[in-house]
This record gives sequence, C-alpha cells and structure tokens, in this order.
Amino acid sequence: MPEGSLYRMAAADINAAVVFEKVSKSFGSHVVLNEVSLLIPKGAIMVMLGPSGTGKSVLLRCLVGLIKPDSGRILVFNEDLTRLDDQRSADRHKLFALRRRFGMLFQDGALFDDMSVGDNVAFPMRQHTKMSEPEIRARVAENLERVGLPGTERKMVSELSGGMRKRAAFARAIALRPDIVLCDEPSSGLDPVMSATLDDLILELHRTLGMTFIVISHDTAEARAIATHIGLLYQGKLQVFGEAHTVLQSSHAHVRQFFERNTQGPIKVL
Amino acid sequence: MRPLLRALETLGAIAVYLFAIVRSLFTGPRYVGETLRVSEILIRRCLIPVGLAVAPVGAVIALQGVHIFRSFGAEELLSSLLATAVFREYSPALASVMVAAQAGSSIAARIGTMRVRGQIDALAVMSVDPIRYVVLPGLIACAVVTPLLNVLTTLLGLFSGWVFAVVLVGCDHGSFMANLYSQVSLVDLYVGLSKCLVFGTAVGLIAGYLGLQTTGGAAGVGKAANNTVTYTIVLILVCDYLASMLLLSLGL
Repeated sequence: MPEGSLYRMAAADINAAVVFEKVSKSFGSHVVLNEVSLLIPKGAIMVMLGPSGTGKSVLLRCLVGLIKPDSGRILVFNEDLTRLDDQRSADRHKLFALRRRFGMLFQDGALFDDMSVGDNVAFPMRQHTKMSEPEIRARVAENLERVGLPGTERKMVSELSGGMRKRAAFARAIALRPDIVLCDEPSSGLDPVMSATLDDLILELHRTLGMTFIVISHDTAEARAIATHIGLLYQGKLQVFGEAHTVLQSSHAHVRQFFERNTQGPIKVL
Repeated sequence: MRPLLRALETLGAIAVYLFAIVRSLFTGPRYVGETLRVSEILIRRCLIPVGLAVAPVGAVIALQGVHIFRSFGAEELLSSLLATAVFREYSPALASVMVAAQAGSSIAARIGTMRVRGQIDALAVMSVDPIRYVVLPGLIACAVVTPLLNVLTTLLGLFSGWVFAVVLVGCDHGSFMANLYSQVSLVDLYVGLSKCLVFGTAVGLIAGYLGLQTTGGAAGVGKAANNTVTYTIVLILVCDYLASMLLLSLGL
C-alpha cells in the first residue's frame, strides 16, 4: 500500500480503527519511530512484533496520547489524535473521550495496589458511568468470570500470581467494553500454558465482543495463534505490515530471521 | 550549556505542574472521597509522631526559662514566654516539619511507586487525570491536616510546659495561668495557623511533583521520598525565619 494514500484512505474508509501516517518520534538523537505508516481495520487482531527496545511500546504510548510524536498523524476512528493538546481544556475533553474507547493491558498489569481486585475492575465504571453499585458489581463478577478469576473480587492485588494479575488487568481493560484493546507484551514473564490461556482469552473476547486488539509482542507463537494482521518493527522502521497469512508466508529477510529465531540476518543483537 | 537547558526544562515542568494544579482546583471532577481517605490516613500516620516530637518542647522551654526568670525574680513570666514561643514558632514549625517527614515522604513514595509501576499512565489511559486523582487529594489533605495538627501540638506544648513548671518545679499555678495569654493574642493563633496552611500546601506540592517525576524503580522511589523530606524541611525552616522577621518588622 502506498504510504501517502493512508490518510486519504482512512478518511474515506469507515472500517479503519487506527491509522498511523508517517509517525516519527526521537528521544534526543535516538530515533525510536521513523515514519511509521499503517492502517488497522476495525475488528482486527494486530500483533506488532519486534526485538526489545525497538519502539513497540512507544508506538502504543503514542496511540493513547501518552507520548506526542514529533511528526506524522495518528487517526483513531478518523479523529487526529496528534492535533489534540492536553493542556487545552477542549482538546483534553476530546482526548479523554477518545481514550475511553481504549482499554489497555499494561506489561505488568498496573493494577492499583491499595485496592481489591473487584475495586480495580470497577474503577473505570465508577469513574465514567452512571451504573448503580449492584450493576457494577454484576459487571465486575461477569468480567472476572470471563478471564477465569471468578470470586476473586475481595482479594488484594498482592495476593495474586503474575498470570492472575494479567488476567485481572484484562478484566479492568474490558470493563467499559472499549472499541480497541491495547496489550503491551501480554505473554512476557508468563509460562507457555499461561501465555496460551491469555491468547485464548483474546480470541474469545474478540469473538464474543467484537473488539479490535492491538498487541505488542516479541512472541512469534502468540502472533501465529491470534493475529489477523502482523507488523514487524525494527530500529524504529516498520519493516513489514499486512494480513497475517501474507506476512507469515513472506520471504522478507527480517520476517524470516525473526520467525526462524536465526542469529544471522539483518536483525542485529545489541 | 547543558545544565542551563536542564534547569530551564525543570522550571518549565514545574510551571506546567503548578498550572495543572491551579486548573484542577477550580474545575471538576473533584475526588472528595479520595481526599477524605488520604486525609484520614495522614492524620493517623502523623498524630503520634507529631505529639511525641512537640510535647517535650514545652517542657524544654520551661526547663531553660525557669532558672533565668527565677534569677530575675520574674518566675511568673515564664508562661508568657512559653505561650509566645509555642503559639508563634515551635508548634507551627514542628507540626509542619513532622508532616513533611511523615506525610510528605509517604505521599511522594506512593505517587512515585504508582509512576514506576505504570499506574499513573494507567489512570491517564482510563481518562482519569492523575493530578486530580492522586496529587490534589494529597495536597489538600496536607494543607488541612497541618493546621489541625498545629492546634493539637500547641495544646500539647503548653500542657507539657505546665507539667514541668507547675507540677515538677513548683511554680504557682495561678500566676502561670494568669500570664499565659498576656503576651499572645488571636493574631498569634492566626499567624501559626496561616504558617501551617502555607507549609502544609508546600509539602503537598513538593511531594506531588517529586512523586510524579520519579524514575528508576525502587531506588527512584526512595530518592523521591528522601528529597521531599529534605527540600520541604529546608523550605519550612527558611520560610519560617523570613515570616517571623517580616511579622516582627510589621509589629505583629
């Protein structure tokens, strides 16, 4: 797809959930994202692969407005996120409204330590909805059931294992039934069985709730298991992006080296 | 050139932070429940240490003063000195210093931990302003709790001075009480409470800022808590001195 046409496509394409158009970001002299362009359709499960420290998390943070790109545009449901200045009142309201369409699973869960699991999951509902307490409690129980943690409402976060924390964080991320769920390294630090359980959870939520998933990962097995679209980021450049079956069959040198776990190739170990 | 740029960057960050605080004070949403929860935690955490730190001060003033006043035959004036020192200086300064040590460090550590564990970002992504939800409740709690603790420490300071002077040394209770308020007025009470309001606000502001700026994991959290205590105590003592000079020059 020609990069220059992405923005025009997005403007016309009601099926685009997210569009990155030539997004660049540097920290000092270190270029983290270098003119990244991609279009993620609604209802996709997009897995962005890449070695550690290659800009994947920065990409995600740019997408929710935690980091402002130096140049380029990010469209979320055709709203240009990069034009919103969170120091201006009107823009901040727009930014917050846009963020409510996201749910985010942070790398280590980012659950609030001083709250119970139930209060963590209920937090977004208490902040942004007029749901009654019984309705919130019912939704919390439903979400915890969905992620395989029924009856854990009263547990404190410190009582949970790593996998349980991720699943509880998942329950919080989907609490408001967001349009897009962002997952930052969902399988990192988990055993293979727990990773597969989380993959199944993503597929189940995708199937039943129809959400768009954007998953940052370096786990190729995870990409094979869940992705409808795959991207590969290396040294801030998007090396390849497309539908999963196309990328998986690609002879692209970066893709082959990454999926075949080969030390020889264009991807260098730092 | 680089240190200058870094200093300008820090000044810019402080300006943005203060602007966000002022904006949050005058616009919604407000987290009253969270503010009350933090206030309650601060009172529980500060009450005993503040009491233990300030109570002996009254006794020490009485101990030092009683011999000097006795040598001039002016023992009955001891309580006047005690009340002036406790109302205007010791109680506000010590209550504020203890709030800085207890509450400031715990607020900075809490916000710093939330920062390094991604919880501050999680709040932002959930469209909850971290300044409003995390920083402002701590700031308001410090500003309200410090004057309240000052009332307690004033009473404790006067009581411990009375115990030493009247019960232990044998000064006359009637003249002690009669002269207690001869040199102090409502202005002294207001001055003490105003100082506490300002110092408590400074503790909350500094703890919030350093907490939000935390980087570098557990070591960074410890550093933020430590810096909060150091900066706020130095600020409190210097400002206390300057305020006393100013008030004396104004004849208050």
